Amino acid sequence: MKGIIFVELIRMAESVMGEEAVDDILEKVNLENDGAFSAVGNYPCRELLQIVDAVGAELGAPVEALHKQFGHWMFGRFVEGYPTFFEGKTDGFDMLESIENEVHVEVRKLYPEVELPTFATEWLAGGQFKMIYASERPLQHFCHGLVEACLLHFKQDVSIEMTERKDGGSFYAEFLMQTAA
Amino acid sequence: MYLRDPIAVPADSVSRRRYLRERVAREEAEALLEGKSRELYDANQRLQGLLSTMEQAVHERTQELVESRVAAESANEAKSVFLASMSHEIRTPLNGILGMAQALDDSGLSDEQAKLVTILGDSGRLLLAIINDVLDISKIEAGKLEFEIIPYQLTELLDGMRHHYQFRAREKGLEFHTELTPAARCLVKTDPVRLQQVVGNLLSNAIKFTEVGSVTLSVDVIPHRSGKSVLSIKVKDTGPGIPKAQQFRLFERFSQANASVTRVHGGTGLGLAISRHICELMEGEISLRSVPGEGAEFHAKVMVEETKGKVAQCNGRSTTDAGRSLSNLRVLAAEDNRTNQVVLKHMLKKVGLTLDIVDNGEKAVQAWQKTRYDMVLMDINMPVMDGIEATRRIRELESRNMQEPTPILAVSANAMVHQVAGYLSKGMSGHVAKPISRESLVEAMATALRAEGRWPE
Repeated sequence: MKGIIFVELIRMAESVMGEEAVDDILEKVNLENDGAFSAVGNYPCRELLQIVDAVGAELGAPVEALHKQFGHWMFGRFVEGYPTFFEGKTDGFDMLESIENEVHVEVRKLYPEVELPTFATEWLAGGQFKMIYASERPLQHFCHGLVEACLLHFKQDVSIEMTERKDGGSFYAEFLMQTAA
Repeated sequence: MYLRDPIAVPADSVSRRRYLRERVAREEAEALLEGKSRELYDANQRLQGLLSTMEQAVHERTQELVESRVAAESANEAKSVFLASMSHEIRTPLNGILGMAQALDDSGLSDEQAKLVTILGDSGRLLLAIINDVLDISKIEAGKLEFEIIPYQLTELLDGMRHHYQFRAREKGLEFHTELTPAARCLVKTDPVRLQQVVGNLLSNAIKFTEVGSVTLSVDVIPHRSGKSVLSIKVKDTGPGIPKAQQFRLFERFSQANASVTRVHGGTGLGLAISRHICELMEGEISLRSVPGEGAEFHAKVMVEETKGKVAQCNGRSTTDAGRSLSNLRVLAAEDNRTNQVVLKHMLKKVGLTLDIVDNGEKAVQAWQKTRYDMVLMDINMPVMDGIEATRRIRELESRNMQEPTPILAVSANAMVHQVAGYLSKGMSGHVAKPISRESLVEAMATALRAEGRWPE
């Protein structure tokens, strides 16, 4: 998993818990590199999950909610760092639809070795929009946060219904979105 | 929200563990970037290598293409030169054969001998026709078929065809009809020689394959939306007709309706292919309607331009008249080939004119200076000085001495349109193609004299 996710997770944690608390957590969790993450490096996803678990334990917060919170944070970083991907997008659905065929195409140019999740999208009758997350990693709540932040970014009033499913080693989450009448 | 509000910015000092962690992360990033740089450099080197290989390959390929283009062009050029020289080489001996046959015919033969000579002459003319077909198809393939578009009276086309084919049809016991619509009684711009070739081919096929009944030639001119007109020529016969399955092959080269046709009727199988190409090159087409047992109708269409005004009409004098009027002339011929000299001598003997023959252009100029000739017949390819140069000198002397120009006729086997145009532009008054017939020679001489105003009225 790309180091930028780790770096951003730590930055988010630091912004709310302070450096000392984060340093303590990183020391407590058994990490291969003692938490010395670089944005350009690659690290096991397992360590990300361990850090989130430890933050949750420290704050007494549900892990799923933390993942979702991290999704919001990360979306903000995307808006700031990669504005070109947002150019010409009419709404959140349009943006979500472009992940697979625009954003990921660019990511693969820089990092040919990455394993990316897939985001299958579908426009349904009655203004509904469906997106299915599929990945080897259980980051469906992080994904949920990203979707919410995306719709907020485009100022859309949309209800999101999330259905999880695990099949073998893969994680799936279906997000059914309904624009408010 | 489970996370607390952001806390205040921390103090300047940083703990040792944080410092060490950041340093490790930085060093890792640096090592990764170094590796990436190396990869980029290597990839760039590979691209550079590919680029120069590619440039080399493109260069080589371009070179090869240039070479093969040059080779193809020179092969094509060689073919054209070969065509021109074959045309010349074959026509020269044929001139001898046909000329001698005519000379023999004029020499007072017994009936039996006259028959033999007729066969000799017919065979020679057939051979000439075949050679012309082969040359035409080669010219078509090389894209070198030439057209000479001039005003032409369509009644002349019908008269000519009737003159040539009526007798042949009657000989076989066939009726021969020609029809010219009122619209076709006009002057059009076209190539009469090629037109006659197409119509002649259709008529000769029709007569060849029809045993009973008639052959009909109909000509019409129909206005076309382009402003030009369609010249429509139909040749209808009452022959055996052509089965549908064989019709499409007729217009292919070297192909006749079926192999037995070649055995029974002979022929090269080029005539219709040539006719089709000629029609197409004249923005037209040729088609066929036939039901076996009910005859066939070939329909040739070409684009022509209707035009107003007069053509240089033949004043109706027959060759014999022309020949008679040439009788008092003094004519100089420059011709290096012995056979052709004999042919000329015999052909013009009957006309009764005085003929002097020299064997190169230089001698022709000298003879012309010594004696006042009414006309010069000039071969083109001759040793010492060719006919073009000799003509140039004569014209130069004429203009220096303020003399009337002497009619100079090119008599040459180089009969391609552009060659003939070349002779005329170099001061010659006309052209007769070898092998010559007395008819064409006498007619050309009369025309040249008329043009110079020397026609003895």
